[in-house]
Amino acid sequence: MKKIKSITALSMAVLMIAGATGCSSTSQGGDNASTDSNSGAASTSSSGEIKEFTAFFSVPGNEINSDNRIQQVIAEKIGAKCKETWLTGQTAEEAIGVMIAGGEYTDFIVGSSGSTTLIDAGALIPIDEYWDNYPNVKNFYSDAEWNQIRNEDGHVYIIPQFGNVYMYDTGTIHNDEAFWIQTRVLKWAGYPKIETLDEYFDVIERYLEANPTMEDGTPNIGYEILTDDWRYFCLENAPFFLDGYPNDGCCIVDETTHQAIDYNTTPTAKRYFKKLNEEYAKGVIDPETFTLNYDQYIAKLSSGRVCGMVDQHWNFQDAENAIKQQGLDDCTYVPLGIVIDKGIKERYHSEPALDATGGIGITVSCDDIEGAMKFLDDLLSPEILRLRNWGQEGIDYFVGDDGLFYRNDEQRKNSVDQSYINANMCPYSYFPGYIGMDHDGINAYNPSNQPAEFYESLPEPVKECFNAYGVQTYTQMLNPSKEKSPWFPMWSYSNAFTTETPWGLAKVNMDEVKHEYLPKVVISSDFDAAWDEYMGIYSDRCDTEAYLNALTEEVQRRIAVAEGN
Amino acid sequence: MAKASTSEKKQGITWKQIKSQKVLILLSIPFIIYVIIFCYVPLGGWLMAFQNYKPKNGLLHSQFVGLDKFEFLFSNDQFLKVIRNTLAMGVINLVLGTVTAVLFAILLSEFRFVRGKKLVQTISYLPHFLSWVIVTGIVFDVLSTENGIINEVLVATGILDKPFNFLADPKWFWWIVGFANVWKETGWNSIIYLAAITSISPDLYEAASIDGAGRLAKIWHITLPGIKPTFFILLIMNIGNVLNAGFEVQYLLGNGLVQSVAQTIDIYVLKYGISQADYSLGTAAGIFKSVVSLILIVAANQIAKKMGEEHLF
Repeated sequence: MKKIKSITALSMAVLMIAGATGCSSTSQGGDNASTDSNSGAASTSSSGEIKEFTAFFSVPGNEINSDNRIQQVIAEKIGAKCKETWLTGQTAEEAIGVMIAGGEYTDFIVGSSGSTTLIDAGALIPIDEYWDNYPNVKNFYSDAEWNQIRNEDGHVYIIPQFGNVYMYDTGTIHNDEAFWIQTRVLKWAGYPKIETLDEYFDVIERYLEANPTMEDGTPNIGYEILTDDWRYFCLENAPFFLDGYPNDGCCIVDETTHQAIDYNTTPTAKRYFKKLNEEYAKGVIDPETFTLNYDQYIAKLSSGRVCGMVDQHWNFQDAENAIKQQGLDDCTYVPLGIVIDKGIKERYHSEPALDATGGIGITVSCDDIEGAMKFLDDLLSPEILRLRNWGQEGIDYFVGDDGLFYRNDEQRKNSVDQSYINANMCPYSYFPGYIGMDHDGINAYNPSNQPAEFYESLPEPVKECFNAYGVQTYTQMLNPSKEKSPWFPMWSYSNAFTTETPWGLAKVNMDEVKHEYLPKVVISSDFDAAWDEYMGIYSDRCDTEAYLNALTEEVQRRIAVAEGN
Repeated sequence: MAKASTSEKKQGITWKQIKSQKVLILLSIPFIIYVIIFCYVPLGGWLMAFQNYKPKNGLLHSQFVGLDKFEFLFSNDQFLKVIRNTLAMGVINLVLGTVTAVLFAILLSEFRFVRGKKLVQTISYLPHFLSWVIVTGIVFDVLSTENGIINEVLVATGILDKPFNFLADPKWFWWIVGFANVWKETGWNSIIYLAAITSISPDLYEAASIDGAGRLAKIWHITLPGIKPTFFILLIMNIGNVLNAGFEVQYLLGNGLVQSVAQTIDIYVLKYGISQADYSLGTAAGIFKSVVSLILIVAANQIAKKMGEEHLF
């Protein structure tokens, strides 16, 4: 009896603690909400103060310091600033799904692959009802382009931020997917011409044999494959590139019949995974590659040990900055347009394209919509654009007598130093902005696209590599992009699938099966048996017919729209 | 709990009783309000499971679809696998967690050197306060094929000839989760057993010593029976928790290769309910989990009652 009492007392104590924390956290929430609305009201009433907006971007990114220099300069000029938060440790859909369930949003929001969900949930305000006083926003796109962006109900809810070229595109950096390789490997091999998958792995294999370790004795890793959650595109989507198709994401579109084709079951896919299987068995591919999460992957790349991988440039940019900062200049990567057989024309690089399904929106939680519109408008003015992209004249760059901007070595070094960037630079990178040229018409919109500036800031080994191949920029390592097909990119359609439709469900199942079986196929000791098992389960569980039909229909629809205009 | 043992003499509650317990009743009111607000009011959201819920239309204007969402769940073999995983990891956690906590509590109570005991106790609690993100980071490092301590030891002692990637093999996943839990929670879980052991009257031990009982005999005949009521109460409560086998560990440790054994109901709810924006389906899976938990806890309680052991209600 006594014991039971003590337990009762103990559990009461636990309950009380739970109760207390529960209460305190709720009251805190209440306080926050009230102060928020107060400050919002204060900033709208008194115009002299600096308004502070909030934004959430459902892509991973760097949170800048709260006393960031450029942010402060911009705030003093336009009377507003924005606290940006980014995706951490979740997928975009999760983050957006949680926000919708809670019904509370930041003032600005970028849904990325969750954009359609946001619009469907009624979370965004129609921008076109407010934009008449804000010419920079309204003229950001032409009427025809806005029409592409309009939702079914005729309103514009999002402003796609990227790919809007001012004058012309200088395009020095290939920001998309490719087979990447370290310049030290190419140098060692005497800068050979590498076109096919076999040649690519052959050179890495030979390099590893000759150079098993880095200078400090840590072992080199031949090839790394990231498969963490949604980032497993690094493993799964190479087959359509190998066949010479552009990044439609969810399928191959046949150029003549306009049919959607499943790239997962093509003969090329089988050959690609068989090659990976062989390389895994030889130890060229990192044995623990399939259990790495994104952070561990970036850590491995940052060490400079990894000779090559398939990835999107934006996905490993942090690692590249880290490599440069450690002075491992021969360990940075250049893109290669690898195909399965000689004679196929690779299409890794595509022109900046208007992605009408993703962009920044203003949410219904924003108290000061006019202020938010003004903020967007101001960020698009030439002066502010230059501050966002180049920084402050005299501190971050200099102006030559000919009007051309240039930087000294220290400024270049600072521009890849993450802690310097966080304290000083404020690109507002997910707010609308122009690429291509600066509004002065002489300079590129940012330093890394300024031809002279770009070349000067390259590490020596990369310059040497470019010279050897007779190119000046990363993009020239690949074929110039072909004219965009009217249906491109198909991923902007498949991103909006939900499990309510048979094709949406098919996509979820395909992802699930591939996520599990593709690594299995690669590490299997008996490739053919593993591949057959994978194909069996794939066709059992995934309704690819519904999936491909839906995509084909969308291809036809987009062609019709393009021809109708 | 005390009520359960006095329930043989059934009496109606009289005004006099209520009056005499006025203060107690007043004290409990905040907690009742807390439970109503945070536990019962949200149950209204269960409506979603029977609708095709769209945030735009809200709870009141979404279309009713009856049991469609449940039908989808149970015809989906992914969901059945997820139930299996959850149960398996729940049971492993329950058994490993309870056994290690009891053992650890007994070992600590047998510790004669008081300062050493305090030190060990404090150190053993500490992992409980680490977040799973950190703990899974440690697990990754320990199991890594590059310089991971387990692989180093296994290779050095000749048990393996080359490092083995434990995290890539579905066979090991449940046990890795189980032992990660043990590492993190043993110290914390043993507190309550330690408290129970301390409250055993020293007279019993003295009497046993006089009768010639050794250390093991005293543990077996006094300590273990002494903590039995605590043990059963906690067991029943933990059985109700079996389906809460975890979310963070599996979410953070899992990868494509082991996803068929790593996904729990909570991850499923996140994946379909939140990521795919099918809130109805997520709610349906959540309801299923609550109902099964309720059944488990009632069943465990009844069994304990039948066996004449300590029980909750």
